[in-house]
This record gives sequence, structure tokens and C-alpha cells, in this order.
Amino acid sequence: MSTKRRDFLRGLGAGAAGVAVGGAAGAGVASAMSRPRQASPAAEPTVAFHGVHQAGVVTPAQPHATHVAFDVVAGDRKGLADLFRTITERARFLTAGGVPPEIGIGGPPSDSGVLGPAVPADNLTVTVGVGASLFDDRFGLAAHKPAELTAMPSFPDDHLDPARTHGDLSLQLCADHRDTVLHALRDIARHTRGGMQVRWRLDGFASPPRPAGTPRNLMGFKDGISNLLVTDAAQMDQFVWLPAGAAQPWTAGGSYQVIRQIRMLVEFWDRVGIVEQERIFGRRRDSGAPLDGDHETDAPKFADDPVGEAIPLTSHIRRANPRTPQAEPSRILRRPYNYDSGVDAVGDLDMGLVFVCFQRDPDKQFATIQRRLAGEPLVDYIQPVGGGYFLILPGVRDTADYLGSGLVNLT
Amino acid sequence: MPHAAARLAVTAVLVTAAAACTGTPPAPQGAAVEVSRGRCGVGWAAPHGGDQRIAVHNVGPVTMEVELVDPATHGVYAEIESLAPAATRAVHLVLARGAYAFTCLPEDSDAETGPAVTVADGPTAGATAIAPVTEDDLGPAVGSYRAHVTAGLAALAVDVATLRTALASGDRERARQAWLVAQMAYNRLGAAYDTFGDTADAIDGLPDGLPAGVRDKDFTGLRRIEYGLWHGEALPSLGALAARLASDVAGLRKDFASSRTDPNDLPLRAHEILENTLQFELTGAADQGGGAGLATMSANLDGTRAVLDAIAPELRPRYAGWTTVEQELSAVQRLVAAQQRGGRWTPVRELSTQDRERLDGALGQLLEDLAPIAAIGEVRRTQ
Repeated sequence: MSTKRRDFLRGLGAGAAGVAVGGAAGAGVASAMSRPRQASPAAEPTVAFHGVHQAGVVTPAQPHATHVAFDVVAGDRKGLADLFRTITERARFLTAGGVPPEIGIGGPPSDSGVLGPAVPADNLTVTVGVGASLFDDRFGLAAHKPAELTAMPSFPDDHLDPARTHGDLSLQLCADHRDTVLHALRDIARHTRGGMQVRWRLDGFASPPRPAGTPRNLMGFKDGISNLLVTDAAQMDQFVWLPAGAAQPWTAGGSYQVIRQIRMLVEFWDRVGIVEQERIFGRRRDSGAPLDGDHETDAPKFADDPVGEAIPLTSHIRRANPRTPQAEPSRILRRPYNYDSGVDAVGDLDMGLVFVCFQRDPDKQFATIQRRLAGEPLVDYIQPVGGGYFLILPGVRDTADYLGSGLVNLT
Repeated sequence: MPHAAARLAVTAVLVTAAAACTGTPPAPQGAAVEVSRGRCGVGWAAPHGGDQRIAVHNVGPVTMEVELVDPATHGVYAEIESLAPAATRAVHLVLARGAYAFTCLPEDSDAETGPAVTVADGPTAGATAIAPVTEDDLGPAVGSYRAHVTAGLAALAVDVATLRTALASGDRERARQAWLVAQMAYNRLGAAYDTFGDTADAIDGLPDGLPAGVRDKDFTGLRRIEYGLWHGEALPSLGALAARLASDVAGLRKDFASSRTDPNDLPLRAHEILENTLQFELTGAADQGGGAGLATMSANLDGTRAVLDAIAPELRPRYAGWTTVEQELSAVQRLVAAQQRGGRWTPVRELSTQDRERLDGALGQLLEDLAPIAAIGEVRRTQ
């Protein structure tokens, strides 16, 4: 219905192949300009793709992310295996960086060109999980579903939108720059159209420290101060990574990912006094210190404050982590991002938190915390609207391996 | 200008690097090569196989196209279109062991192919040469496509006459059914991207972009009648629109009979028809109330099949993905056909999430695999 494309092609006398060659010519210039980087390849920030675990879990959060849930449309087990192989091949290339192959006159360019002729790794991580719905009768996987993998329940304070909840697969893309994340998403989607379709997508960003310490969420509070230490391998094995010898041995090296789109009602929040805001969280807004402390790194002394005079018993930090021996097993590795997604029907800003956490058991960890938080005063100012539970697949061991290889080959 | 001609030689510089390892494009290396009119490719000595970048500098006085070819078959590995005087551009490809040559196609003079060179190292498999498609090659395809459209327009005229009769009968349901038949007849013609010029807007135009939208006097044709049929407009007023439609279809038949079809249009249309379907029908954007997006899509798939059938003799041997495309097209047709139950097409807004995702995925994959046909089938000079 539009004439523009035809006129463009005719006017320039250039078809798709001509454009492809033009892109290649441009590469020469970029190559010359990027030579200093070529001279020291180690300077190219890269996160290793192969390993026992997937990257993007204990990897320090890169500034930009997208979380996308897909439904698989491949029709059978072989189609699912092909899909996992294709995602793996694309992830292997994208996370390493390199020059996309030239097609010549055989088709349109193989790459979108968004990152220039040489794709930089840019600390990209590609992290893939599977949802409980993948284990229905389509692929014959029902017998291999771990008991811990369920659909995300609707918690009492949730407002879940089915169009933004669940999914057969989760794809987490994180990188140092927004264009790298979008390039990776376009590339993976282009190569998998017949295998999976986007169900929902949520773009996130990590704010820089303001002015120092833990980054702030969009309510103005430092978020994630008390977190597991990704540098503590024993802690990661205890709380995050799935062990060998589980009931479903194919899951060893994986982890459970919980994604929650938590909208923050920021207009309402901004009309709340600072004292109430701080009592809702249990921390000072400016410093992040617990209300009984001076610095964000100070541990709250709940035992010294049994009736909640300094830090209310209903405050978010006290409910989330009461710092008791009983609560210790429910600790999680949080890896959240802020999101900003336009406006709603009444003109209020749609923004909030992409809450992401990893653990060995979503019910014993995340959901247990969630049950403690039920009814906390904060729920008046936030709305969980979507997300899902996913099992992050074990890592891709080497160039012969692929994501999900331990699953799709089961009989 | 012998002096200038000598100075303005077209030079090609062969460069190479292990691009995949460093993450940067191949960097310059090796000897410069002279290429010019009468000397197209001379001096491209000792070429190497593997991931190669070949920069071509046109220092001649005329714009030319330059192709890297298989000297035995004249199949094209890579091309540089419209290389202007003083411009430098490069081709980047993997050269397997074998013979290569440059072909230069200067404006206003004959093509010439330079000396063949032999690549004796590098991989055994590399870029694939594709035999260029000429205007003559596509002659029979244009003929069969035009015959298909001519017959389709005749059928459309009959269907529009039936629609007028139905509107005159005062039976809205009968008129809606007749409208759908005409809508599908038109969309079977694959009228994507201005195939039929301005006449098409009067027949299939949407209210988008018209100052008064659906109330605009220039909103006419099948979509306008659809709007009226599903928004309670009086049938006699729609009869007047249908009379106008009949007149516009008659005009289109006349125009089409005397028009020329650009052979380039056919390979382009292989994916463009369904690009429109994805953009306007499967999204529901074009729906004026009839919920006929999938019926229209079904017709567009037929139109795409007709285009593929017409160009298959030339494109099938040139495109390894041809069989896959035919299978995928059939698979999408089955998915769409399953949404017609008891004579009713499911409106796209009523599709279940699973059905919608399957349709989107199947059409998206088909479009990816149709896209190379436009590049391979682009008409190229050979002389």
C-alpha cells in the first residue's frame, strides 16, 4: 500500500544486495578506526559463554537488560531441540562478538547493522530458562518436570495480567549498552521466528549509584542492599545453583529464576510524607541506612527492637528478611532492574521494578519471603502485574553442547 | 583523454584477516590490483582463500557496476552497484579454492570480464555463485503472472456485480457475504505496494491518512463498503459506493491491459504481499468491522503462491531454500484454513493466544525465507 520502497529501490538502482555490499564497504572505515581495540583484544569486555552455569546469574548486573518470555510454536521435540540449538548458536556468536558473514547477492544482509560492521561483545549475557508450561504434552517432557518448577502463583496482593505473565521460555539479555541488548533481541528473534513467539517483554535499566553504594529504585530508595554475595561460591551453591543428584539430574548447574513486573504507583508515592515512606521501607531514603543505623551497610538490630519502635514490624526490610535463623534458608540472589514503560489510561507514568531473583527452590525461597510480605504497608503503592517462574538451564559446556541438551535428549 | 584514462584506473586492493577470531572486519593486506575499462581485474595476483575483503576503487570517468564472478559460468559471488568515479567500496566474502574474475559493467558500454585468477589455498566451500537473472529470463514469468491477474480482474468484476445485486436486495447478510467474496477476489491478485498504482487506492484504500478518516469523501472501495456494512449504514448508500467500485475495477482492467509489468516486481512481490498481510491484516489494523483479516490473509497466500509459481522456473534453481518456502507456505495455508469454521472466519481479535502465536510464527518464518528471493531475483545486466 506504500509506494516508498519501490521508488527507493528504483531511484537508487540498488537492490538488497547493493545495500549489503555498501555495508561491507563501510566496514573498511570502521576497521581502520577501531584498530587500537583490535591491537588489544582483551580490552573488549566479554563475559564467557561456555561453562557449568549460564552467565547472567552471578554476573554483576550490566546497566541494560531486557527480559522476554516466549511461547514455543515449534511442533515437536525435534523442533524444540532445533530451537535450542539455534538460540545457542546465536548466543555464542553475540556474546563473543565478531563480523557477521556476508550473504553477497543471495539475500538481505545477515545482520541488522545496528552495532556496525563488527559486532562488539559489550559484556552481553544471554540467559535462557524454561517455564512449567513447556512440560505439557507437546514435547513429551511431562515426566521430566522438576517438582519445584510451577507456574508463578498469584499472591494475595498481585494484579496479574495474563498477557504479561508466564511463558514457555525466558530470555534475559543484559549488556553494557542499550543498543547491544536490542541488537541481540532482534538477531535471536530473526533466527527463531518459526520456533518461538514473544509473549511479553520488559526492558530494564540499572541506575548508577546516587551518589554511592547500592543503586536506587524508582521510589527513591536503595534497593538490594542486603543481598547474597556472588563472589561467595559456597553461598551460591547453597542458595542459587541446583545440585547434582537431584530428582531431575538434568537440572544440575541450573537455577530457578523469578521475574516479577512490579509497577510502582509513583504519583501516589510522591504524595506520601518522608517519615511514612521511610517507615514503610524501614530505611532512610537519603543514606539507605536502616532506621536504627547510620550507614547503608549497617545491619538492622531487630532483636534489640522487639516491638518495632525504631523499625516497624511491618516494614519491608523486616518482613522480607527478619534476620532470624528460621528465615535464613529463604534467602535469594536478587538481580533487579528498573523499568520505564510509558503512561497508563489516566496519564500516570508506568514505571517500576523488574524484580529478578535466583534460587534453588522458588517456593521455599522467593515465595516464602512473599508470604511474609503479604499485607505489608508497601502494597498500597505497588502493583505486581506480571512475570513468571523459570528454570534457568544448565550452562553450555563447550562448542559441541547446546542449551537444553540434557533435557531434549531424555526419553 | 589517454592521460586521464591511465591515471583514472580502477584499482582493487585485496585485503584479508581472520575476522571471526578478532571480532573486527578483515584488515588491509597484500598487493594492489589494477582494474579499469579494458583492464577489468588485471594484476589481481596471488589471491588467497578464506575470509576476504576486496576493496574496489573506481578512478575511471564513468560509473560502473563491478561483479566478482565465476569465469566459467558467470555466476555472481558479490557485486558493487553504481560504483561512482573516485569511489571506493569493498566486497567481503569467503573465497573457496577455485577460479574467480571481475566483471565490469560500465554505463553505456558493454560488460567485460577480466582475467581469471586461481585461489589455491583456503577452504573447499565458500561463497556461492548465483547465476544472474536477466529481464529476458523473467519474460515468461511476467507473461504467466499477467495472465493470472487478467483472469483475476475479470472474476473480480463479476464479484462486484454480485455485490451490487446483493446490496440492492436489501439483505444485509447476503451483502456481507458478497462483499467477502469480492474482498478475497481482489486480495488474491496480490496488490501489494502499489502494484496497480493510484487506481488501487480507490479500490482497496484505508481511511488512514485521509483528513476526515472514515468520513472522508476519498475513502471509497471495498474497505469503505465493509465499514458501512458493519456500522449500520443504509444499503442504498452503499449501493452507490459499489457502483463507483464497479467503475474503478473496470478502469483498472483497462489500465492493466495497457500497462507494462516491471520484471523486478515479481521477485520483490514474493515477500511483499505477505509483508502487507502481517502489517495490516494479522494485526487487525485494516479491519473495518468485517473481521475478515484471516480471509484476506488466505487470499494473499493464494496471491503469493501465484507469484512463486510464475517465477519458479528461474528462481527455484537459484535458491536452495525454495522447497522449504513451498512447504512453509502450505503450512501457513493450513493454519489459516483451520480458522474458517462453518463458513465463518475467526476475526483475528478472537484468536486464542496459542493460535495467534502459531500464525505469527509460521508467517514470520515464511517471510524470512521468502526475503532472499527478492535479492536473488533482482534483474541484473549481463552484457
